[in-house]
Amino acid sequence: MTTTRMRVTQGLAGAVLLALLAACAATTDKATAPASSFAPAQPVGVKNPAEIPSAAAGSQNTCDVRHSSLRPVPGNPATGPTLSAIRSRGRLVVGVDQNTYLFGYRDPASGQIVGFDVDILREVAFDLFGDRNAIQFTAITSAQRIPAILNKQVDLVAETMTINCERLQQVDFSSVYFEAGQRVLVPKDSTATGIADLGGKNVCAADGSTSIRNIAAAASKPVPVSVPDWTDCLVLLQQGQVAAISTDDTILQGLAAQDPNVKLVGDKFTDEPYGIAVNKSANDLLRFVNGTLERIRSDGTWQAIYTRQLKAAAPNPPPAGYRD
Amino acid sequence: MAQLTAPAHVQPPIRRGEVNRATARIRSTPGRMVLVMLVLLLVGLLAGIAWVIGSSQRSSSAGGARTGSGELAVQAQELYRALSDADATAAIAFLSSGVEPAELRNRYQSDVAAATAALAAVANGGASDKAAIEQISAQLPVYTGLVETARSYNRQGYPVGSAYLREASGLMRGQLLVAAQRLYDSEAAALQRERDDAASLPWLALLLGIGLVAGLVRAARQLSRQTHRTFNVGLLAATLVAVVMVVWNGVGWAVVAQHISAANREGSRQVELLAKARIAALTARADEALTLVARGSGAAFEKDYVAQLGALVNGDNSSGLLNRARAAATDGSVRTSVDSAISDVNAWLAVHKKLRAADDGGDFPGAVKLAIGGETDSASTIFNRLDGVLASAIRSTGAVSDKRGYQQRIAEYR
Repeated sequence: MTTTRMRVTQGLAGAVLLALLAACAATTDKATAPASSFAPAQPVGVKNPAEIPSAAAGSQNTCDVRHSSLRPVPGNPATGPTLSAIRSRGRLVVGVDQNTYLFGYRDPASGQIVGFDVDILREVAFDLFGDRNAIQFTAITSAQRIPAILNKQVDLVAETMTINCERLQQVDFSSVYFEAGQRVLVPKDSTATGIADLGGKNVCAADGSTSIRNIAAAASKPVPVSVPDWTDCLVLLQQGQVAAISTDDTILQGLAAQDPNVKLVGDKFTDEPYGIAVNKSANDLLRFVNGTLERIRSDGTWQAIYTRQLKAAAPNPPPAGYRD
Repeated sequence: MAQLTAPAHVQPPIRRGEVNRATARIRSTPGRMVLVMLVLLLVGLLAGIAWVIGSSQRSSSAGGARTGSGELAVQAQELYRALSDADATAAIAFLSSGVEPAELRNRYQSDVAAATAALAAVANGGASDKAAIEQISAQLPVYTGLVETARSYNRQGYPVGSAYLREASGLMRGQLLVAAQRLYDSEAAALQRERDDAASLPWLALLLGIGLVAGLVRAARQLSRQTHRTFNVGLLAATLVAVVMVVWNGVGWAVVAQHISAANREGSRQVELLAKARIAALTARADEALTLVARGSGAAFEKDYVAQLGALVNGDNSSGLLNRARAAATDGSVRTSVDSAISDVNAWLAVHKKLRAADDGGDFPGAVKLAIGGETDSASTIFNRLDGVLASAIRSTGAVSDKRGYQQRIAEYR
């Protein structure tokens, strides 16, 4: 009697369990929610397609960028209105990048801004004050480089900045301190071998950079996508939102050093001579900076900085050229 | 009582002769009296039913305001707070060199856990804005993934980490917090609707009750005219009972409505002002950190910081969130809390000014120390105190309004 009842109870329990399971299964089937799609996360300030910085009419190729600067005064004396203002302030104020690995970036471990551009500027401070730390860094983005010089927020800008005729109409540049050229960075598994293979694909560069214009001008017609900072480009590449990043090889090397799954491809398809930007009214400062560059070219400092920051054997420094 | 009307159904089909006899019977005086009695009985019955149904509906609205929508609104607010706290904490943690302190890591993790729990509670509670819930469910894991990517790059010393953090914060502010705000708004509106329902005038029951009293008085007068007796004891008793019911109904409604408006005035508005203030402070804290994390492109964050603190306490000391919360505070201890919050905001503004001067002057490590250092005058210490004061003010305001508003009201319905 008891066993029968137990069996009946067990049977009942089993049936109830089955019914419950069936109900659960039914609800799970019903619960297959509509696959709603939300736009992928994107860096703040991304522009797709990018605004192409317009070239001032007639400004292209009408100047000699390699002979546009002013010759230093022998002995490089720190005299002149701008220089004495800086000296009485007690420190050099410079604009640098905080996000361009190897050239100008904040080392997360120390909190200090370091890099090739930073070390070059420290040499100017050394010649002016005898102290490489008599320098104040202001972090600015690519698009802020010229405004920062024009409104005198900073004395100098060294931020992977290409000397070109259009910019020369707004600011002065030092002699060339680094030779770069635009190349292409793609994921390791990409079949692209250069800008020519990227027609119709999204290609990233920083807002307001010459790279954006070069991407837009490429014969293969890639789609330029702009972001505020170079590292934002790497984020987009890693997230598969762009097919490639195209800018100066220097910047690309810095990005490639942060991710082993990308590669640099193709030859340099532009010439990007870097200069230090100076306000057009500060000729004394411009000559002084060129004096420092002369010194570090000849005493081995340039090569030492190159090896220390870019972790590669140093080539010969680019030769200086002046308009007078 | 229902039995009284039941025999009508079992009567045999009516023939013409019987109809005449029935009308004659009704026209006779005793017949008319029976008819009047039946009508009064029906009105009385309806008034009773309307009263019972109406009051149970209002009671469930009030109960719903306390447990259903009220709880959903609280959870939606908690979701928003947890999300913006996670945003602020992730940004602050990023400022510390190398590995973030365990305390900040824990705070971020409990924020994410709290947000997930609140989201589940809102979803299970049947919140109306399904799209917002779906969006937060879909994007919160994306957000945490971006933060973790930022962290691991930062630990390796790569600047791309800060780019991931900026993207994460952009997703939080541009998408997740917007959806959470929408969710909260719809729940707050639902709560307000339920409160209005609970406080609505039980007009049907009152109307029927008044009609019943009038009918009874009229019947009594007619009866006394026909029978030449001054009072019919039964009718008198019925009239008295009906009057008591109408008065009870009306007074009960007035008391309840008054309590609900008190709960609205004292509780909800104060809690809402304080909660908004707390969220504005959190957003400002994230702005402060992100201005430093953004490394040069932080001008937009700094502008937002100024706007957020301006919303908390403004120059004329009257229209800021905290100024309004102080004016609305009915409890002495809440007022004291809000006063100390206002002085914290002013102290924070002063430190922030120093911090910006340090950062703009190139002293980044000094600025970071002011932002996240443990000194008594650091922005971090002041912000934590402000956050704590606002949280406890919200708690005690809620408790006070519960004591005076909801509980009493619900007791009245039982």
